[in-house]
Amino acid sequence: MTIANVRIPDGKPNGAELTPELVFLEHGPRVYNLARRMLGNDADAEDVTQDVLLQVVRKLDTFRGEANLSTWLHRVTVNAALAHRRKRATRELREIPDPLELFTENGYHSQSPKPWSATPDLLAQNKETTELIEKAITELPEIYRDVYVLSDVEGVPNAQIGEMLGLTLPAVKSRLHRGRLLMRNALAPHFEKAEA
Amino acid sequence: MMTCKEIAELLLDYLDGNLPKEYCDIICQHINLCGPCLHYVESYQLTVKISRELPRTPMPHALVERLQAAWKEIQEMETREEQH
Repeated sequence: MTIANVRIPDGKPNGAELTPELVFLEHGPRVYNLARRMLGNDADAEDVTQDVLLQVVRKLDTFRGEANLSTWLHRVTVNAALAHRRKRATRELREIPDPLELFTENGYHSQSPKPWSATPDLLAQNKETTELIEKAITELPEIYRDVYVLSDVEGVPNAQIGEMLGLTLPAVKSRLHRGRLLMRNALAPHFEKAEA
Repeated sequence: MMTCKEIAELLLDYLDGNLPKEYCDIICQHINLCGPCLHYVESYQLTVKISRELPRTPMPHALVERLQAAWKEIQEMETREEQH
């Protein structure tokens, strides 16, 4: 059997014929963006994307009948990105920030939060804003970034994230919450309405 | 009685509806009376929503070319192996 003509369920009842070219074009950006956000580096993301996509098209026949394609791609990409990080052998030396540092010892807000200025769709469509959000993601500590990207950017369910990263569900939720709080803190100075 | 920090610590479970009703009532009451917490909760929710709306960056053209070349090479190698 040539892998060029394998039929993949991809969550659809009849499945679409998936050629390697189609995998590269339609699913490549998903792999590339996930790797880029997890690794925070374009060159590393390109290497991981190439490894993942070639691995995927070579194994399309063994994939048949398993879970849907997005789940499979997420799983393979996460494994490849984590392996790439280990190979790079770079460890984060910076201290992990406390997401609740904006509260006083008595539990009050040390700086009073203000309403934000725009709606999500407007914020996300603006190039400058998009860059701000991407930068905030890149600056998240790795232990929070992986869970945050998988959950809040890619929409992967927490239970699946736990399986991919070898974490319990409470650990996934705890990291996700801390990641969200840090993201909120990073974005707030840019998005809060100026005082009248 | 909960502090603003305690509210922040419980936000994920509160917004997912995973807290017991008595906790939800306390948090809801606090948010209704505390302007800073209301803005904090709204901005937490917005953070999640804007992340979900992030557009995907297209793959660089050079990467697409690299992939196609690598795939062609694999196919040629497989064809040679089949012929031997």
